[in-house]
Amino acid sequence: MVQDEAGILIQKRKKLVKRLLDNRAPGFLNTSAELFDDYFCGVFKKSSTALKMTDAGIPVALVALGGYGRREQCVHSDIDLLVLFENSIPEMADQFIRDLLYPLWDYRLETGYAVRTIKESLLMSWKHFDILTTLIDARFICGDFNIYFLLMKTFMKQLSEKHLQNSLGCLIAYGEKRHSVFGDSTYLLEPNLKSGLGGLRDYHSLMWYARMVSDVKIRKDLEYYGFLSCEEFQTLESSLSFIWNTRNMLHYITGRKCDQLHFELQIEVAKLIGFKAETGHQGVETFMGELHSKMEFLKQINQLLREYILQPRPNKIKKAKKRTTLSKSTKVSGIVIRRQMLEFSSMELVPRHPGLLLKIFVESGRLKKPLSIDARRIVNEFSYLVNDSFRRDTSNVKAFEKILSYSLWKFNVLNVMLATGVLEGLIPEFSSIVNKIQYNQYHLFPVDKHSIRSVQVVNGFKKKDSDKKFSFYSIVYKGIRNKKVLLFAALLHDIGKAEPSSEHSEKGAEIARTIVARAGYKSSEIEDVVFLIKNHLFLAKTATRRDLSDEETAVFCADRIGRVGRLRMLYLLTVADSIATGPKAWNQWTESLLRDLFLKTMNVLKNSELATRKASKSIKKKKDQIINLRKKEWDKVKLKKELDSMSHRYLLYVPVPEIMGHLALYKNLGEKAFLWKITKEDNSEIRRVSICGRDKPGFYSKLAGVFFLNRLDIVGSQAYSWGNNTALDIFNVTPPMDRIFENEKWEKAEKELQNAIEDDQFLERLHGKIPKKILLAPGQIPRPNRVKIDNEISRFFTVIEVFTYDFPGLLFTITNTLYRKGVDVRVAMVATKVDQVVDVFYVNSVDDEKIDNPSYVEDIKNAILQNLPELEVKKEESK
Amino acid sequence: MKKIEAVIKPFKLDDVKEALNEIGIVGMTITEVKGYGRQKGHKEIYRGAEYVVDFVPKIKIEIVVDKDRADEVVETICKTANTGKIGDGKIFVLPVEQAVRVRTGEKGTDVL
Repeated sequence: MVQDEAGILIQKRKKLVKRLLDNRAPGFLNTSAELFDDYFCGVFKKSSTALKMTDAGIPVALVALGGYGRREQCVHSDIDLLVLFENSIPEMADQFIRDLLYPLWDYRLETGYAVRTIKESLLMSWKHFDILTTLIDARFICGDFNIYFLLMKTFMKQLSEKHLQNSLGCLIAYGEKRHSVFGDSTYLLEPNLKSGLGGLRDYHSLMWYARMVSDVKIRKDLEYYGFLSCEEFQTLESSLSFIWNTRNMLHYITGRKCDQLHFELQIEVAKLIGFKAETGHQGVETFMGELHSKMEFLKQINQLLREYILQPRPNKIKKAKKRTTLSKSTKVSGIVIRRQMLEFSSMELVPRHPGLLLKIFVESGRLKKPLSIDARRIVNEFSYLVNDSFRRDTSNVKAFEKILSYSLWKFNVLNVMLATGVLEGLIPEFSSIVNKIQYNQYHLFPVDKHSIRSVQVVNGFKKKDSDKKFSFYSIVYKGIRNKKVLLFAALLHDIGKAEPSSEHSEKGAEIARTIVARAGYKSSEIEDVVFLIKNHLFLAKTATRRDLSDEETAVFCADRIGRVGRLRMLYLLTVADSIATGPKAWNQWTESLLRDLFLKTMNVLKNSELATRKASKSIKKKKDQIINLRKKEWDKVKLKKELDSMSHRYLLYVPVPEIMGHLALYKNLGEKAFLWKITKEDNSEIRRVSICGRDKPGFYSKLAGVFFLNRLDIVGSQAYSWGNNTALDIFNVTPPMDRIFENEKWEKAEKELQNAIEDDQFLERLHGKIPKKILLAPGQIPRPNRVKIDNEISRFFTVIEVFTYDFPGLLFTITNTLYRKGVDVRVAMVATKVDQVVDVFYVNSVDDEKIDNPSYVEDIKNAILQNLPELEVKKEESK
Repeated sequence: MKKIEAVIKPFKLDDVKEALNEIGIVGMTITEVKGYGRQKGHKEIYRGAEYVVDFVPKIKIEIVVDKDRADEVVETICKTANTGKIGDGKIFVLPVEQAVRVRTGEKGTDVL
């Protein structure tokens, strides 16, 4: 007999769920709870044990607790039942429970129960906070109403007289703990519908607060007692029903009580609810956007009403006495502090002074005090006053700049501005990204929240001592002169994400241009904001996709960014954007790559001539010129690619004809070790040798050796490395003595270079030919030979400078010494002026590292000095 | 079966992935790691303060293949990840005892 009741319950539930899936079960939660009520009433009536107890005069009541008590029965919510006795629990209770619950368990319906007397129930409530909250939501199902009534009356009386402060304290602590556990950003990607920020618990807690301290019984009472405005109540209703519906679908899909909306399930849930794809957005993106906005509302209303409900009321007895509403004035007339919250001193002031709509947020941020619920309502009501002339008003722009700089972690004024509609009023373009979701595991926040978080992260860089890992950023932050530019860029960097497009940076930059222009910014400021937004992904991309140990990467960045100030801002924007995106975008790994790139680019901008505006211009001009001159022989795209891969240093210092000469050689190089071309300079006794060869250690010293071997004196020389393992060199040498057989001489030299490349010892015989002494003209005071090895000038190379007097074989002596010491010459600039020479070499170890080991440095220095000839001043001939 | 673990420079990942795809290797596990070998860390100075970069960011690729293909995979990674400079990384080859596909319970080289 009893089994039948359970069977009926199961049948009815099945039908109800089916209606839910067809979207025809608006009151699902309530109906679902009623089905259980019907079951318990039915069983209670039929149970012989219940009859026996009634006969024996033992009163018993069935009480629904928790969610069941609130009639919020989702598809797989569990049932929480209290079997209540008056003074003692009879032996028959066991059998009674069996009658009640076994049939349910047989159908695998999760049912929790407790058997308690009134006294036990009360005692346990004061001891265990979770039992207390279930009892707040208690609801009578059937049995003896009197004992239920007695329990609840005593419960409420003891609560307000003895346990109120303690219970409120527990409730606040519980809320804080829940928010700290579920406030983690992973819960944004996969929201927890019940316990997460803005989850149902936020609403439950609110009701608990309200029930503890006021006469609120049901949700509607929140409106009735004036806690919520009519509109807010309607939004609350719609938010709750959306979340409940989502929860129902989630339960249905997982087949169990599951409250975390896992990433993999979101598409399916969205589909069940009926979200469809439209104009480039997936249904799931619209769904998640809506869910976030509903949960955000619950979160906000929880924070707001909690403050409101919990306003100090020391004792309920004094309730009749009117609350003291002492208000303190603030810096701004028309805005006051009442009960630690900001309010307008009078509502009529707002339409007369619309600027107050922003000033109240400025004060809120400055004093770190929230707006009262009334103030929020007023702001919301009057947000229509924010029109175009309001937006262009300088004092309003100034106020907004302040608000931007006051937006901090845990107290973000911008969020409240967004919630009240003023932010969208001020920047209408912002509306397009509100609650815009990108469905992937990377972006945890809707675009609007992400933007606001970015601003908040930037402001976090202000504090220097708070967080050690931020100390580096605060140093960089200090160096930024115009902080409002960075803050605006942070707020608007994703403004182009409204429409699905691969180029949100470009699009956003143009939208932002309109916004900051409207705010009356100077053109240089506008250009900075536009630049930052357009390039906000540039550093992150470069850091992970280019070789950071290559000088060219840093020069490339420096060239694009152009100024130290812009680099600082772009770097902090990149960091803030990544941190605000979520843990997938920001970790120590990306952090160290980015910092490395930043420091190297900074160094290039500060110390190098390679990325100055003038240098960039001149390089661009040269490239265009070459492409234009060579458009017949070369494919334009290919030539451009080759030129782009050449080092900035080379392009800057080598004249166009030489570059074209090198390109021609490179084209014909094939498998050969090197190619050279000798040109006679007009009206000059100098031969110019352009060389293109395989970049192997020692190549440069072998070139110098072969010229020395053939007594071709080197007047000047430059050496460069091209990224693709090619060396590009230029030598200016004096022609051979024998002009008649000059060509033969060059052919001989070419052969000898080939030999030297194949046989590493081929040029060793030259050592004997290096002079032992340099004789200086009489009367000269010799400046001693000097070698300077520097690791500060360049981030990428060790720079060796050699000061000495010219002698035959000088370049070979130095470069061969370097080669034998395992030093690789990357760039060389050699010029002889009169007799004193300064040769400069940019070198790395063969491992491609800087040479910074002190003993190694010393070793190289000594080796060069030892191989240089001694200086001797010629004695004046006796007259 | 062999497991190939390669530690490479981050910016080489796309190239390596592409090259492996070309020889028919489509599955791999990627981890962002930090470490150092012969290429020691370095110091950076900014506004007078020193920042020591002691661990260098790298990418670790893990691939399990039939033992006959291991050499080919190693060669491909080697060729692609090479910049000729220090810090290009290392490749390790380890024996693998068993592989199981979780969904079906299949075992052995078929699941690769």
